[in-house]
Amino acid sequence: MSLKIKALTKSLWVFHAATSPCNNCDIEILDVLTPRHDAERFGITLVGSVRHADVLLVTGVPNYKTKERLKKLYSQVSRPCLVVAIGNCACGRIMFKESYNSPCPVDEVVPVDLYVPGCPPKPEAMIAGIIKLINKVKGKEKK
Amino acid sequence: MHITESVKGKLSNKITDWYEHSPKRIYIKAKPQDIKSIASVLFKDLGFRFIIASGCDTPEGIEILYHFSYDRMGLILSIRVLLKDKKKPEIESIAKLFPAAEWIEREIWELLGINFIGHPKLEHLLLIDEWPKGDYPLRHDRNNKGL
Repeated sequence: MSLKIKALTKSLWVFHAATSPCNNCDIEILDVLTPRHDAERFGITLVGSVRHADVLLVTGVPNYKTKERLKKLYSQVSRPCLVVAIGNCACGRIMFKESYNSPCPVDEVVPVDLYVPGCPPKPEAMIAGIIKLINKVKGKEKK
Repeated sequence: MHITESVKGKLSNKITDWYEHSPKRIYIKAKPQDIKSIASVLFKDLGFRFIIASGCDTPEGIEILYHFSYDRMGLILSIRVLLKDKKKPEIESIAKLFPAAEWIEREIWELLGINFIGHPKLEHLLLIDEWPKGDYPLRHDRNNKGL
């Protein structure tokens, strides 16, 4: 395992980009990080600037305004970086597909590494997804 | 005196319809040209608070509901105004009475195309600035697609 990958997967620092969600996923993300599930034990913590982050969490359907913001955020992340789409809205566009203010899904704006579906996804689902993602990046994926 | 009595007394000549859904939820119909004076009486004389306005595209025309609250007894009073001309709907802005109405009037303008006369800054709020002119997403005659 290269040093880069080891450093990336050791303690994931997360930047939370909310592209107009309903805040339901955001509350579940906070549930993962706060003492009940306590992902901070493993060094997974929210950071205030995308330049410090290893993971870009995206929730919600991008609209014409947040799409540009998301592009800008992704251009500022230090590489290597992982992108995680949380919730049905970010994974696809579900009921907002025909909306006047929804130009494209998240994965057309930034390359997504992990999709966690659910409305909202359970904290357990997010933790399971993150473990799968770390194993995949490390090259230890079970076949 | 009960607050509904004073509303009726002060606005008797401007109210065209009075509907009491429950003791704490009252709907009033009024003419579009009276909205500024009604809002002024409710806000300045009777102590009502402006909550929000909501717009709706109906078969008869475009309707705006101005919701006011009387916090001391939890009464919510909605003034319904119907703009019959769908081609060029216009109404006087109440943003000069209270700045709380500024953003919601901008939103109604961009989504339903109602021109608020006398609004200090009628620009896009939720949609991008490049949104085509004359394209109002919440009108029923528009197909529900993006740009």
